[in-house]
Amino acid sequence: MKWLDTEETVRFNEVDTYGIAWYGHYIAWFDVGRMALLKEFNLRPQDMISLGYMAPVVDLKCTYKHPARCGDVVLIRTTVVKPEIAALIFRFEINREPDRTLLARGETTQVLMTVENKMLYRLQGELKQRVETMLAHFSG
Amino acid sequence: MDEIVNNTQQLHSYLKQMIIETLKLEEISQDDIDDDAPLFKDGLGLDSIDALELVVAIENIFNVVIEDEDVGKQAFASIRSLAVFIQAAYGSHQRSLSAAG
Repeated sequence: MKWLDTEETVRFNEVDTYGIAWYGHYIAWFDVGRMALLKEFNLRPQDMISLGYMAPVVDLKCTYKHPARCGDVVLIRTTVVKPEIAALIFRFEINREPDRTLLARGETTQVLMTVENKMLYRLQGELKQRVETMLAHFSG
Repeated sequence: MDEIVNNTQQLHSYLKQMIIETLKLEEISQDDIDDDAPLFKDGLGLDSIDALELVVAIENIFNVVIEDEDVGKQAFASIRSLAVFIQAAYGSHQRSLSAAG
């Protein structure tokens, strides 16, 4: 499985009273990874809108293994899985550099809608082409 | 499959079982699903991902395509509507197959 990697450094304002990265920030890190990946395939939210679609997140999972602390460099690994249904499913791993300790694993599911709020049951046209290019890249 | 599709009672029961199995509704039995209750929102309370799963199941089992949400809204209104939709679409699909053959 191929992954796209991005890095972030845990900021002072991201740690909680326990001195570890607040659990909600992991979701923001997932988004950093997903945006970097989507940019490669012209599927960023602004690209979706210009094609006439939206892809809202309808499901989110995150499992925490180890904490991150202020100043830690976290490696955000993102990949996309081929779903049987008309949805986009991304998987994430957050690792701590330099030893790549696994901190968290996650997954998001997005459904596809037209900008008029109509759900898509199957992908068509330019959107289908871009999504298939992205899936082919990560399944190869 | 022709026999099930052509027998409305059997088809209702088949569709209920298909929904239970596809969506892994472990605490629900066929008897809990009313033929006329809405499948989404205040009926069975299914969500958008459930709709996508059912669309794929129906396509795989009956070779019947539910194109988009407009069609889906009618088809998924209830078990009864879904049966009517499948019977109509399945019939036309079989006719086009025999015409082609």
